[in-house]
Amino acid sequence: MTKGVEPTIRGKTAIVGIGQSKKVGRVPGVSPLALAVEAANAALAESGMQKSEIDAVISTQAMSTSFHRFSVAFSEYWGIVPTYSNNVQVSGATGAATLNEAAAIINAGYAKNVLVVIGDSLLTGMTPDMALRSMTESRDQQYEMPFGIPVANTFAMTAHRHMKEYGTTREHFAHVAVTQRAHAMRTPGAQMTSEITIEDVLNSKVVTTPYHKLDCAVISDGGAAFIVTSADRAKDCPKKPIYILGAGECFTHEHIFLMPEITTTGGVTSSRNAYKMAGVTPSDIDVAGIYDCFTGTVVMMVEDLGFCKKGEGGPFIADGNITYGGAIPSNTHGGLLSYAHIGNGGSYFHAHEVVRQLRGECGDRQVEGAELGLYHALGAGFACAGTTVLGTEATL
Amino acid sequence: MSNSAIDPFAKPLPSPDPDSLPLWEGFRQGKLFLQHCKDCGGIQYYHQASCRNCQSENLEEREASGRGKIHSFSVVHRAPGPAFKNDTPYAVVLVELEEGPRMISSMIDTNPDDLDFELDVAFTTEKINEEISLPRFRLA
Ligand SMILES: [Zn+2]
Repeated sequence: MTKGVEPTIRGKTAIVGIGQSKKVGRVPGVSPLALAVEAANAALAESGMQKSEIDAVISTQAMSTSFHRFSVAFSEYWGIVPTYSNNVQVSGATGAATLNEAAAIINAGYAKNVLVVIGDSLLTGMTPDMALRSMTESRDQQYEMPFGIPVANTFAMTAHRHMKEYGTTREHFAHVAVTQRAHAMRTPGAQMTSEITIEDVLNSKVVTTPYHKLDCAVISDGGAAFIVTSADRAKDCPKKPIYILGAGECFTHEHIFLMPEITTTGGVTSSRNAYKMAGVTPSDIDVAGIYDCFTGTVVMMVEDLGFCKKGEGGPFIADGNITYGGAIPSNTHGGLLSYAHIGNGGSYFHAHEVVRQLRGECGDRQVEGAELGLYHALGAGFACAGTTVLGTEATL
Repeated sequence: MSNSAIDPFAKPLPSPDPDSLPLWEGFRQGKLFLQHCKDCGGIQYYHQASCRNCQSENLEEREASGRGKIHSFSVVHRAPGPAFKNDTPYAVVLVELEEGPRMISSMIDTNPDDLDFELDVAFTTEKINEEISLPRFRLA
């Protein structure tokens, strides 16, 4: 359960800058690279660094571009010559995996100042060929895709089984959508800001059972970036450093039919490893950013991340535990369901929100006294899981 | 082999690889083969060159009973692309075979409203073209 992880990088690195494109959501006429540059410039400005100090770029595949090496294309476009570059592709888990990798390579002495960056235009920038390719290539060509199984369907089957095994209901799922929409309504720049009710979610159009339209993430354009550096350097940066205290990942299968048990995910292992490295327990966490491609995903994750017992995620959320005053305020920006979803880097906005909460910058969204945060990303029908524990100086 | 990437109305078809040729040949003959490991006793779907449990290459191909149960399912109402649009609503099923392994497939001759967890299902195949028959299930 905790194999492969020693507490080697706890507090050794920190996020000193975050940035988003000027607009997130529907952003026609701005290329993915231009969106990425807007985000990188904003993150760099926060860090107080010069562009020339960035010696590593970590990115992921931008689905609306044809680049095989987005991090390399980005570096050319931004005008830097880094000495480390990598594109991580573990679907939705990429967000946590890239932050973890940034911490690891800095700790290894392989880079000093890492830019983690993505820009993508899933909403307005996909040619029909790109959209089709991303749909038909999202699942295995031999054993899944011939049966017309979109990736949504793999997540739906796990949620459906969760209903069967634990009595979870569509109303429980709907609470996730309604809670996060209420959060998004307070977040400047969120894509979906009109109030919704449980009834609205239940009555929205069915997509793939048990999921209806309002159980599903939005699709968006946008860019996101982070500057990660050593704890020593972070002390000289203008923003309050947010330290990377723990990192964990787990990859349990490729095909959904080889997922060991479809109602329990690799998030159990990734989060336990991250908690162990950080020296914390789930009840210590003040605020969370939890990947939410679908409502049921959050129900399963509050269980797997240890915030409640297995099978109790539905009632836990319906009781108000993922919002203000509850056990673990989560996705206070609105998440993929209501803030924005730009593809592999979609959950970068969750990490941004956790960083802002820990800095105390969230205004009327602020979780009072937040010092310790959790960021959990996942993807590919729960094949990939990545967790990062973040904290303020007080948690070191 | 499949030209689905350029023709949005063509369904994605598998391109059998060196590992999977016998499995797809089995489907063409209406049979579902599983690999049984002679060293550790593991049974696996889909075909590989080695056992997923012990890496032995000493694998024996045996025909499955074709009996299974629905472990989970999801009825697709919004198709993943134009190729499946005329099929909606259709059920994608995660079948647990009597021998243990699970597989993804879809139902034929079944009203999606009649599906439920743990229902008994039976393996069959559907001929798509001369090379490819797809594994399907129907209610047992
Ligand atoms: Zn074996």
